[in-house]
Amino acid sequence: MTHDEAVVTALCKKFPFLSERISVQREKRIFTKPLTPEEFQQIIPYVHRELNFYRACHVVGTDDGDTLGLLYILTDKNNTLLILRESVPKSNPVVKSISSIYPSILLHERELADLFGVVVEGLPEGPRYPLPDGWPEGNYPMRKEWNPKYFDKNTMTYNDPNVKEVK
Amino acid sequence: MHSDNRITIPIGPQHPSLDEPGRFDITLEGEKVVNAVIGVGYNHRGLEKTCESKTYVQNLYIIERVCGICSHAHGTAFCMAIEQLAGVTIPKRAEYIRAVVAELERLHSHLLWLGVACHEIGFDTMFMYTWRNREKVLDILADLGGNRVNYGVNTIGGVRRDIDADMVETIRKALDALEEETKHYVEIAYTETTLISRLKGVGVLSHEDAIRYGAVGPVARAAGIAHDVRVDEPYGAYKEIPVKVITDTHADVYGRTVVRILEMQESINIIRFCLDNLPDGPLSVRVPRRIPAGETIIRVEAPRGENIHYLRSNGSDIPDRVRVRAPTEANWHGMKHMLEGGYLADVPITIAAIDPCYSCTDRAIVVKSGAKTDCYDWRGLRQYGIDWYKKRGIDVTALKV
Repeated sequence: MTHDEAVVTALCKKFPFLSERISVQREKRIFTKPLTPEEFQQIIPYVHRELNFYRACHVVGTDDGDTLGLLYILTDKNNTLLILRESVPKSNPVVKSISSIYPSILLHERELADLFGVVVEGLPEGPRYPLPDGWPEGNYPMRKEWNPKYFDKNTMTYNDPNVKEVK
Repeated sequence: MHSDNRITIPIGPQHPSLDEPGRFDITLEGEKVVNAVIGVGYNHRGLEKTCESKTYVQNLYIIERVCGICSHAHGTAFCMAIEQLAGVTIPKRAEYIRAVVAELERLHSHLLWLGVACHEIGFDTMFMYTWRNREKVLDILADLGGNRVNYGVNTIGGVRRDIDADMVETIRKALDALEEETKHYVEIAYTETTLISRLKGVGVLSHEDAIRYGAVGPVARAAGIAHDVRVDEPYGAYKEIPVKVITDTHADVYGRTVVRILEMQESINIIRFCLDNLPDGPLSVRVPRRIPAGETIIRVEAPRGENIHYLRSNGSDIPDRVRVRAPTEANWHGMKHMLEGGYLADVPITIAAIDPCYSCTDRAIVVKSGAKTDCYDWRGLRQYGIDWYKKRGIDVTALKV
C-alpha cells in the first residue's frame, strides 16, 4: 500500500462519511469531494495531530454556482498534498478559521473574506488583505457574478445595470 | 502614536526596504521591536479575475508577469498544469531547456538578493560586485529569450526558444567566470567578520517556528528544513538531474545568505549537467486549445521557494479558476516573529532577508491594449519633463545653478 492509499484508508476508517468521497487523484495528490463545515471541522484536528499534516500551504476559493468551494491544501513530511474541499452556500458562507491550528493559513483566510465574501469566524484582528481600505461593502470580486466592467475605480462604486438595487 | 513607554512607528507603505509597497507597524520599547503588524496587498491588481476571461495562451503571458524576477517559475507551473489536464507529455529537450532557464533565473535572483541584502547592511562594494555579475546572467537570458526578464521561453506544450551549439558555448564561458566569482562570495560569507557579525542572530526564525509558520525556500532551508520541490517532488528534467539540497542551521539572516550563495554554486552545476546531457528532438508538442475539464495542483521550486499553482478547467479554452500561491505569500506568516525581539535597525535587512516579492504575493497587472503609447528618447523625455512643469507654472530652464 502506498503512503497516499494509507492516508485515504486511515481517514475512511476514522470518518466513515468520507468513504466514496475521497480519492487519490495522482501520486501525492489526495482530493476530497465537497464537505460540510461540520465534517471539515471534525477532520482538521485529526489530520493535524494523528496524520501529521503539519503544514497548510494554501486555501483556494472557487465559485461553484450556488455554493463556494474552499480547497485547503495540507502537506506532510512525505510531501503528499491532502486537499480538503469545504463547501458553503453562497447566501450564507460561514466557516470557522483554522489559523489557530495552522498559523500559515491566516493571510489566505483573509483573502477568502475579501475576494469571496466568506465570513471566517475566529479570524484574529489585523489589516484586511488584499483589497484597499474604502473598498465598497458587499463587493466580492472573485465571485463569478461580479463583473469588473461595472466597477468605477475613481468613485469606488459598483453599478450593475442588470441589478436594480445595488448591494 | 505612543502609550506608556511604547512607540508605534508605521514603516511604509512606500518602499519599506525594497522598492515595493508594504506596510509594517512596528511597536518599539526603546530600540527593541515588541510587536509588528504587517499589511500587504498594495500590489493587488486582479490577475486571477483577468485569467477567467482570457484564453490559456493569453493567460500564459499574464502569469509570466506575476513577477519580474521569477517569471519563468510561474510560467512553467502554469504550463505544466495545462499540459497535465490536456494529458500531453512535452519533449525531453523542452524539459531540459526549461530547467536551464529556471536555474539561470535562480542565479540572477540570488545575485540580485545578495546585492540588495549587502546594500541594506551598508556593504555597497559587494552590492556592486553582485549586480555586475548578475548582468552576465541577464545577458544570457536576453540572448535566449530576447528579454532580461519575462523571457517568454515557455509555451504550452514545450518551449519557444532553442539552445544551439553557440549558445551552449556562451553559457559555459559565462558560468566559468561566474563560478570563480561565486567562490569569492563563499569565502566572504565564511570569513568576512563584519558581514558575519552584522547578520548572525538577526531575524531569527527557529526550526520549529519555520515549520509552524509554513516557511518555504531559502528561509526554511536556512532553518534546517531540507525542503526543495526539485527533490521532494521532481518535475520535468529534475527527475534526471542530481540536485543537492543546501541547508543551514543558523536560522537567521546569515543562514539565509549562506544558503543562497551555496545554491548559486549548485545552480551552476545543474546548468552544466543540463548542457552536457541536452537531448535532441523537437521543442514542443501541439496542445489542443480546449482543455478537458478537471483540476490540478502543480508545485515548482522558484528561486524564493515553493510555488503552487491551482488550475481548474471547464472544458473550454478559458480557465474556470487560476490561483497562484507564490513563495513570498507563505513566508509572510513568519515575518512577524522574525521582527519581534529584534532591533529597529535590523528591520530592513530582516524584511529583505525573505527576498519578499510583493507583486508575487498580490499578483499581476494588465495593461489594456489599444491605448495610445508614446516612445521617448532621452532628449524627448527631458523636454517632456520641462514642458510638464512649464504648464504648471514652473520654468526649470530659467533656473540658474
